[in-house]
Amino acid sequence: MNDRTIEVNLVNQLGYERIAMACSASFARLMGLPPERIEDLKTMVSEAAINAMEHGNKGRPDARVTVSLNCQDNTINVTVSDEGDGITNFPPKPDIEKIIEDLESPVGFGLFLIKQLADQVEFNKEANGGHVVKMAIKMNS
Amino acid sequence: MQQHSNEINLEQHGAVTLFSIKGDITSFSEPFLSEAYQSASTQGVDKILLKIDKEAYINSGGIAALIQILAQSKRNNQNIAITGVSDHFKKIFGMVGITRFADIHETVENALEVMS
Repeated sequence: MNDRTIEVNLVNQLGYERIAMACSASFARLMGLPPERIEDLKTMVSEAAINAMEHGNKGRPDARVTVSLNCQDNTINVTVSDEGDGITNFPPKPDIEKIIEDLESPVGFGLFLIKQLADQVEFNKEANGGHVVKMAIKMNS
Repeated sequence: MQQHSNEINLEQHGAVTLFSIKGDITSFSEPFLSEAYQSASTQGVDKILLKIDKEAYINSGGIAALIQILAQSKRNNQNIAITGVSDHFKKIFGMVGITRFADIHETVENALEVMS
């Protein structure tokens, strides 16, 4: 770690993603990310952390979620790690028309928003177990 | 940890029922939204305005809960609109398609003028 990296280790409980959001926002503000993109970053971090808690860690109270951020080459990189096995089946893009008609369940919005707001997203299994989402947001995007 | 809840007050403004929703909108909001909606619908409302706090945190669980209300209002041929959201969440609502089913108004006054 260097002076442009921070890390937050969260209790695996919905609501605690707010801590990571606040830290991410403060960090991004220090790095000079524009206000509108800070809001985007907060949503990205929130949704990735919620997915980690609910789907990665399957709601286990003894599991943890780690969020780390760094700023390098004019880009804020965020990783959100959980102790799960990773995503095998990505949900399709949610279709609100079908959801409204009760033809589909209202799922997949978190992943959809991450992909819409981030400049880059990757999903990887960790070598020593666990799963990580890596997101990037360019300082001047 | 503090339990999440929403306080939702219903007010009648002519033909429009205003839902003033206090607090963040997450998956925990579903029962509160549902109860307020059922309570209003049993009284035969056909115009609903959801007022959300500008500082409210809204996540994908909250978006799903709001969409359930939009779905019910569509089935019941009700006109539904939203006001009070921040510019960021206006953008998010546009991305997920909520704006195809509910107009977003800048202010309550604006909304009431259009909906009346």
